[in-house]
Amino acid sequence: MSSREPKTTEFMPRLDVEGVTMVYANGHLALRDASFHLSSGTICALVGVNGSGKSTLFKSIMGFLKPKAGRVSISGMPVSEVLKRNLVAYVPQSEEVDWQFPVSVWDVVMMGRYGSMNFLRIPRAIDKVKVEESLKRVSMWDFRDRQIGELSGGQKKRVFLARALAQGGRVILLDEPFTGVDVKTEEEIIALLRELRMTGCIILVSTHNLGSVPEFCDQVVLINRTVLAYGPTSKVFTEENLTAAFGGVLRQFHFEESTIQDHDGRAVRVLTDDERPLIFGKDGHLEYKDRGQHEELLRKRSEEHD
Amino acid sequence: MTEILNSLLTPFHYEYMLKAIGVSALIGVVCGFLSAFVTLKGWSLMGDALSHAVVPGVALAYILGLPFTLGAFVAGLLAAGTMAFIKAQSRIREDATIGIVFTTYFALGLVLITLFPARVDLKTIILGNILGISDPDILQVIVISAITLLILGLKWKDLMLFCFDANQARTMGLPTGLLHVVLLTLLAATAVAALQAVGACLVVAMLVTPGATAYLLTDRFGRMIFLSSGMGLVTSLAGAYASYYFNGATGGCIVTLQTLVFLAAFVFGPKHGMLAARRRAANADTSTSA
Amino acid sequence: MSEFFEPLNYAFMRDALLMGTVVAAMCAVLSCFLVLKGWSLMGDAISHAVLPGIVLAYIAGLPLALGAFAAGLLCAVGTGFIKRNSRLKEDTVMGVVFTGLFAFGLVIFSRTESDMHLDHILVGNILGIARTQIVQTLVLGGAVLGITLALRRDLLLICFDPGQARVLALPDRFLNYLLLALLAGAIVVAIQTVGIILVAAMLVTPGSIGQLWTDRFDRMLLIATLSAVGSTVVGIFASYHMDASTGGCIVLVQGLLFFGSLFFAPKYGILGRRRGQA
Repeated sequence: MSSREPKTTEFMPRLDVEGVTMVYANGHLALRDASFHLSSGTICALVGVNGSGKSTLFKSIMGFLKPKAGRVSISGMPVSEVLKRNLVAYVPQSEEVDWQFPVSVWDVVMMGRYGSMNFLRIPRAIDKVKVEESLKRVSMWDFRDRQIGELSGGQKKRVFLARALAQGGRVILLDEPFTGVDVKTEEEIIALLRELRMTGCIILVSTHNLGSVPEFCDQVVLINRTVLAYGPTSKVFTEENLTAAFGGVLRQFHFEESTIQDHDGRAVRVLTDDERPLIFGKDGHLEYKDRGQHEELLRKRSEEHD
Repeated sequence: MTEILNSLLTPFHYEYMLKAIGVSALIGVVCGFLSAFVTLKGWSLMGDALSHAVVPGVALAYILGLPFTLGAFVAGLLAAGTMAFIKAQSRIREDATIGIVFTTYFALGLVLITLFPARVDLKTIILGNILGISDPDILQVIVISAITLLILGLKWKDLMLFCFDANQARTMGLPTGLLHVVLLTLLAATAVAALQAVGACLVVAMLVTPGATAYLLTDRFGRMIFLSSGMGLVTSLAGAYASYYFNGATGGCIVTLQTLVFLAAFVFGPKHGMLAARRRAANADTSTSA
Repeated sequence: MSEFFEPLNYAFMRDALLMGTVVAAMCAVLSCFLVLKGWSLMGDAISHAVLPGIVLAYIAGLPLALGAFAAGLLCAVGTGFIKRNSRLKEDTVMGVVFTGLFAFGLVIFSRTESDMHLDHILVGNILGIARTQIVQTLVLGGAVLGITLALRRDLLLICFDPGQARVLALPDRFLNYLLLALLAGAIVVAIQTVGIILVAAMLVTPGSIGQLWTDRFDRMLLIATLSAVGSTVVGIFASYHMDASTGGCIVLVQGLLFFGSLFFAPKYGILGRRRGQA
């Protein structure tokens, strides 16, 4: 059984989606010739409108759907092999979870260990240690005996992240993680995802909330029935690409001033209700709230590649 | 005093009563265990449907002289297959599909029974007849129960994860398709066993009420299984015993008891009961106004 | 051919055909609403739940239909009450409540000396119905059918879009309860024909057949009614010739008609759709 234990400390995943074409049972084409590649240590957003093939792509990475053409591989292994090694973890959308289910926080995180447990799923010492570590990492240890429905929205999300951690997932898929979550929680989750990125995880976040993408995603895959563009956020997130991905769905505001030019002493202030706005500067560059951290990451990345 | 005691002990003087009480208890435990999953998976209607849909199988098996479990089981799986087919192929809603399929199967069974009235007794199938259960039938019930308990006992954690989050189960390489089939098969098998004790109309109660009651009493899955199996055991024991005094309406007695326990849990449950909820609501009112 | 129609020579067969037609039409019309509202299995639940009402009414010397109606409504209202006040899903609550009532009915039945046949309550006995009951069936069945048809537009709206019904200041709660009451009434009437267990079929299958053939509600009503009446007539004749359970034959014919439609209905049948794609 120990051979199935994921080697969390050393496995650096690489995700390759090559020429994936998906067709529904009724003959409807869901995705055509989609390709992108991600190497370890990234938070990548999967952005597209509803029905663009986001969830189909997710399901193909989780091995639920077999592509009609092309292939998905992680570090050269087919998905089925990777699933056996418990390297893919999944954080469901809040609406998909039955919050009344009679399980505690501890139970849920322990379920993340099932893949590496024996036939009867009796927790060993190592499983308990992993669950404890994961819960402490997301600061949910004190809540371990709560029934999952008795948590706040952000706490719920953190529990499922802890489950992904306990599982030892190195490719972590999050489905619309910020719907129904307040701004403070959103920031906590982002901080946690950044930590995971540092350890070399590939984190793939499906979202239609454009504004939060530049804040914490270093890469973006834009899809609309195929991959329109992928790469570093600053390159992919252009008005032109987004218009191609979203068509007329986006609301646009134009500001004549920019926040990046600190020296001219002027700033733009944008207030919105719940979703973060996406802000382009004058020359089409992206505006960040947390520019320092972002540039730090980009510099590191370019150093690594040199 | 001894007279009362004696009359209370009368049922135990009859071998058929002892057998009935024992078999009912076994069926009660198995159904109770499974009902935890049925409640959480939302398969209540499926239990109802399967218990009616097995009737033509039972009738055919008796007519042909085969083991009744075999016929019932095949009919149950056929019905489940028919429902899955209609669901995948048409715009009919799932609940309507279930209703159409199980009533059609049951009607087929009814026609078969009336065509061969000497071989099968309608009342036995619809209402059960545990007091008159034959030894070969007892053996079949024991085999089904043993297999079901073994599978549930070994794999309840996997089935729990499957009910809770099937996607996660899949990403961890658990065979979710197989788990689905296993759970459905166990449901059909226990429905067949319970048919003996309470009859086609009340099987669904054995497969839903204990789980629903336990769900109102606890927030832990392990405890829920324990409570629902225990409730199945106790109510079946007591119900079978009481049916001595109720003209042999064993199914009616067991299920009436279960419903009473459910109502008690619904009203008085410490956390999820109606009174507890009212108290909480009242406290919330006073604390906000204070 | 004359041999096939031989049963028409008997008064009890003519009565059975007349009653069967009325009951089938009444159930078919209601089934269209139930299928659209997602209440398909409400019929199953209420039909089982009427048993204690019948037995208690018998003991108290009241009309059986009254007891059955009251018990049926108790089941529907009780299910709603428990669902609102607990964390259980509706189908679970329904399963618990109707089986509880049915079981209670069996228990008190076992302690009651009566000339009632449990078999007849469970699977119906259309061929052996007294004349007085026939009048009752025709009057009650006609009333349920009449009210349902007269209010069909309002009832359709609460099935399709309850919010809109409220906005239009229609009495949506009242209409909901009215639909439940009509359902309970229909079940009480129909139990004599097909029995407790098979009433559910009469209340689901015709509407579903209609749904496979058309997108228009009025046509759906028509198709459902025709298919239900047709299968009832064929079923009664078949049961006479085969000497098999009448309720069983009616429902079986209806089921076969459904499966036929499932494959061959022009627009939504499996074969029809295939052709459409090709």
